[in-house]
Amino acid sequence: MFKKKMFGKRSAMSGEMELQITSMADIFTILLVFLLKSYATGISVNPPKGMMLPSAQAADTQVEALKLEVTENSISVEGQPIATLTKFQFDTADLLGNHASKSLGASLEKERKRQILIAQGNADVKIDPKIIIIADQRVPYTTIKSILATAAVNGYTDFKLAVVKPE
Amino acid sequence: MSSGGGGFGGGFGGGHRGTPHQDFELNLASIIDCFTVLIAFMLATASFLSIGIFDAGVAAAGAQQASATPPPVHVAVELRKDFSVEVKIQGKENRTWTLAATKDGSWDYPALTAQLEDIKKRWPELSATTLQAQDLVEYNHVIKTMEVTKKTLPLILLGGF
Repeated sequence: MFKKKMFGKRSAMSGEMELQITSMADIFTILLVFLLKSYATGISVNPPKGMMLPSAQAADTQVEALKLEVTENSISVEGQPIATLTKFQFDTADLLGNHASKSLGASLEKERKRQILIAQGNADVKIDPKIIIIADQRVPYTTIKSILATAAVNGYTDFKLAVVKPE
Repeated sequence: MSSGGGGFGGGFGGGHRGTPHQDFELNLASIIDCFTVLIAFMLATASFLSIGIFDAGVAAAGAQQASATPPPVHVAVELRKDFSVEVKIQGKENRTWTLAATKDGSWDYPALTAQLEDIKKRWPELSATTLQAQDLVEYNHVIKTMEVTKKTLPLILLGGF
């Protein structure tokens, strides 16, 4: 008996201890649920580095559409750079008489053709006129006009302008 | 007397002979590992910006296309680079107002709101407006004007091309 007690005490005094990770697992679960929820409800827009989106109170609707990004030096469609800009402006050689851009037009036309092809193969898929414009707040309206004209010519007439909602 | 035990590893051992008892500790270490990797990935890829969306149409398609019955009047708002705003109404009423810049050199949004509310009072069926700007007006001013205009006339058509 005496021996047993002594051994018991000795083992308790030893440096081995078990970390209680149940509470840690709880915290991680809550964090994961929160992150998954914010992933599911948010609009999947990741502005490029250095881009300053305009700030405004706007609707929190979830939209999935073709994404067009306008930065100081380039325009990208779905993350692929397709036209170069100089200080937010198109090169004059790239512009047509109706303010539309040749390079942007070619890219949007390609996307449109792809959509039409998918719609032809699948009756459930409809041709989407929506386009999300993620533009820097310093872009002059002349560039915006060219983008809108080019998009409208290619059948994208429902513009979704991405803004940052103030805190 | 031997303690018997189930022989199911550490977790199930130590019970009555033949029946392993249900007290065992779940090994959470691997779950924690998975969660850590997942959380790290999500934190790295998550965008903490609260993104909103403004809907806009094309004025070239016409306000008529947006509604079945054409409105009696058509309102156009133009932003000028000297920070003045021109509000033009056409149709059954034809008038133009120019709202000068404020003393601190910015757009006079309260005056614009008042003007649009006045128009809306006279033409309650009106819901759309065409917004355009001069070439060098920055996009954030266009967005800000959209935000102000939407409160009175919710349908915005971008024009000028």
